[in-house]
Amino acid sequence: MPAKGVDLKMVAQNVGHSSRASCGACHFNGGGGDAIKHADLSRQLLEPDRMCDVHMGGYDFSCEECHKTRNHKIAGRSSSVAASEGKVSCLDCHSDSPHYCGSLLDHHLNNHVKSIDCNTCHSPVYAKCKPTKTWWDWSKAGDKKRKPKKDKYGQPDYHWKKGEFIWKESPKPTYAWFNGYMDRILMGEKVDIHKKVINLTSPVGSIKDSVSKITPFKLMKGVQAVDAENDYFLVPHLFPRDKNDTTAYWKNLDWEKAFIDGMNAVGLDYSGTFKWLETWMYWRLEHEVMPATFALSCVQCHESLKGERTCNRCHQDSKNVDFKKVLNKGTDFAAMKAKGRDVGDLINTTDYIDFKALGYKGDPIIHGGRFKKLPMGYKQNNN
Amino acid sequence: MIKKIIFYSGFMILVAALSMAQVWKAPDQEKAKERAKERVKFIKDYKDEDNILRKIALIEKGISLDDVKNNYFLLDSPIIKEREDHYGPVRFAHKRHAALINDCTECHHYRPKDESMLETTRCSACHQDSFNADHPERIGLKAAFHQQCTECHQEEQNGPVTCTGCHLKNVPDHKDLVKLADNSDAFQVTAECLRCHDQAGEDMLKTAHWNWRGPSPYTVKHRKDVQHGKGTTALNNY
Repeated sequence: MPAKGVDLKMVAQNVGHSSRASCGACHFNGGGGDAIKHADLSRQLLEPDRMCDVHMGGYDFSCEECHKTRNHKIAGRSSSVAASEGKVSCLDCHSDSPHYCGSLLDHHLNNHVKSIDCNTCHSPVYAKCKPTKTWWDWSKAGDKKRKPKKDKYGQPDYHWKKGEFIWKESPKPTYAWFNGYMDRILMGEKVDIHKKVINLTSPVGSIKDSVSKITPFKLMKGVQAVDAENDYFLVPHLFPRDKNDTTAYWKNLDWEKAFIDGMNAVGLDYSGTFKWLETWMYWRLEHEVMPATFALSCVQCHESLKGERTCNRCHQDSKNVDFKKVLNKGTDFAAMKAKGRDVGDLINTTDYIDFKALGYKGDPIIHGGRFKKLPMGYKQNNN
Repeated sequence: MIKKIIFYSGFMILVAALSMAQVWKAPDQEKAKERAKERVKFIKDYKDEDNILRKIALIEKGISLDDVKNNYFLLDSPIIKEREDHYGPVRFAHKRHAALINDCTECHHYRPKDESMLETTRCSACHQDSFNADHPERIGLKAAFHQQCTECHQEEQNGPVTCTGCHLKNVPDHKDLVKLADNSDAFQVTAECLRCHDQAGEDMLKTAHWNWRGPSPYTVKHRKDVQHGKGTTALNNY
């Protein structure tokens, strides 16, 4: 250390602020390559397209402008790792009434802020510029003869070291109520290994909790090993230490040896029997904010506004205002598709965030909000 | 010969175009940068209006948020940088402030005496150099910015009030500050950094990026722990 050929004097003489490149050197490549782990961080952000991230692509934001530092501690919360040195929120700059352009909708949109995270509307799809891994089955690893097939993005579906993958570009996120706290399984923690799926991380929140908001996540699914007797997750030894390494999986392709060595390294007992288990991780999506004109439109979530009755349920009709036009203004998936994004399946969708799955009886305009249940002048037989 | 000249000049233009195309620029930021560079003519005479009456007058004239032409400014005036250049530019969300304050006269407190000019002008039209002997009543642009921003942020208890709350600090050129022999090793370089930044070295040792563990205030059931992180207990499925 450091790498040979690095002129440290030159480095020291050119010390300066961090950049997207310096933070991204690690954070864009998490999981072993570009955009694999963090769906909303990729090397694309070195020279980003405005459509992919308006802060970095339009306004040339560096990471540290939001992730402010104090005594070398960097503010930010991670959904994947427990350690945190302070939080960062869109609202730090945008305030809790961020819609201000004098549009007819500002009042309603600012009310939405109490229940909906910014990126739910302002980044309706994730991994929109580089495909990310959404499925990783470690149990399939080890077949050196299996030829990886390329998917529609040109990404391989297999690697003998790592197993089977699925990649996605521009998919719809998974939405969940989230109050800023995560629940996570830590190393050595007992789990119910008879469950079909175990969440390694999951958001804490409830429709009944006033500070929880509907928040977008990348759901990373996979299959990994658990100790069948000790009931905790196993850590394999992967990278060979040197030429003489006899236990590293990526050299010897023997899970048993890899688990014995790996668990020894982390100081936990390995019973000698393991089983494969499906695990999910919720990764909060916070970057890749699109230009405001590409936020979800009202009708993309509220099916009730698609019919004849719209804003005039409550507001008087005005000849000067085209309610329909107002309600339909927003993300145009057809335009995004034309630009090469894989969003064909999202064109003309309604109930985008799936109200029932989030605990509502249905579209809140018809069935009432989570706290206010005001009738909206809607009659079932008068639609 | 002429053919050759045409060919080579065409070739040079092509190379120049290609190299220009390779320079990535953030479009909104670029526009703001260009605007920040502009110098405008000094307005000597302003109309001395009572602020309360001016506010009403603007409302009566129908000047509103819709008249805000520029949402975003970069405050990076050459007028200030001429004298000192310790801090980076400030991002200023103009329309957002206009909407929040809902009173243009809070900042655009006077108008030019010349009635043919616009009601609202940019700060640097009236506030320029700090020490203008002809206009001792006029504070300079730097003072105007700081007085306007800081006082309002303090009064409203909203918005940054410290230097680094708005600016990134410019890093001084370290070419001459760093005194190292060629081919210095990592320990020598670290010692040289610590010669001036000893506290920064101490701070670094306490960070999650250095230790790969740290406090976990946002993980339920572990909110008071300090030992979790990638280097210790983190699990993942990739």
